[in-house]
Amino acid sequence: MKEVIQRKIFDYLLKNKIYNFVGVPDSTMKYFIEQGLKCKKVLITTREDEAIGIATGFVLSQSNSLVFMQNAGFANSISTITSLVQLYQIPMIFLIGWRGFLKNDAPEHTKIGKIQPKLLQALSLQSKILNEKNWKKSCDWALTLIKKGKPCALILIRDFID
Amino acid sequence: MIRKKAIAIAVSQIEYHDRIISANGFISRDLFATVDKSPNFYMIGSMGLASSIGLGVALKNPRRKIFVFDGDGNILMNLGSLITIGITEPKNLVHVIFDNSSHESTGGQPTVTNKIQLSKIAKSANYKVFQIKTKNQLVKIFQKIKSISGPIMVIVKIKKGGVISKRINIEPTKIKNRFMISLKK
Repeated sequence: MKEVIQRKIFDYLLKNKIYNFVGVPDSTMKYFIEQGLKCKKVLITTREDEAIGIATGFVLSQSNSLVFMQNAGFANSISTITSLVQLYQIPMIFLIGWRGFLKNDAPEHTKIGKIQPKLLQALSLQSKILNEKNWKKSCDWALTLIKKGKPCALILIRDFID
Repeated sequence: MIRKKAIAIAVSQIEYHDRIISANGFISRDLFATVDKSPNFYMIGSMGLASSIGLGVALKNPRRKIFVFDGDGNILMNLGSLITIGITEPKNLVHVIFDNSSHESTGGQPTVTNKIQLSKIAKSANYKVFQIKTKNQLVKIFQKIKSISGPIMVIVKIKKGGVISKRINIEPTKIKNRFMISLKK
């Protein structure tokens, strides 16, 4: 996704009272994270499940949070999602970079890229794929869901090869 | 000193309204059996993450004392948490590790905290660390840390054994809701 849109998504979520952006970086969302680092709203953790734990503490304190990660980290976080986020119904937005979306992405991303939609479905974690046209609507959808107390995921496709 | 006794002493030394986030397994069960109250957040799953949840709560509630009741098996699963706590420096966070060098909740299998020095790892991550063994030391240290700013780690060396406390019979969403309400007060 274009740099300018990634920055706009960050600004839009911040404006809509997402105060904490916690996670492990992914090059798919490089500019999104950079925008957050500029205004000191980003906390980079050592692992994705750790980020979910911290965000849970924020949400318990009534402070809206987003957890960002690559889909490798999403796979790392499945148990935390089921036994913490979903068990206690902790509303937070996951922003997940979809590596392995392109067929010729690096080999370590192939399998997880392929099973990612099925994993989301198996978890019953509602999600929307962001693009340059629908991003605002998708963010609004996520913001509405967390207001209702439900966790959800926004997916950012890795649309380039480096 | 066994875990349940250590937890009872620790609880008796902190204020009723101080928040406690407790690790899954016997630690949460012992806390629940000792004193069940809305400022307790029992983390019944997601092993390893009590200190991360505690960090989040501590950063957003800087005027409140936040205690994490952790186990050695739990913290070994999430050593990265020490790093993040160390760099964010929550002054109000007290991280208590009840350390029996074993995964007692799953049958007492050994951990390696008797072979490494957790205290040194925590110190290098900017914690102030206290290590104690006896009941008297436990009482004294909880008095002492009242005037020290965190992040603080208290490693309580305990022995295995004791009666197994009952499971927590409160719905997780209720544990969450009452904890959130208690934070508003």
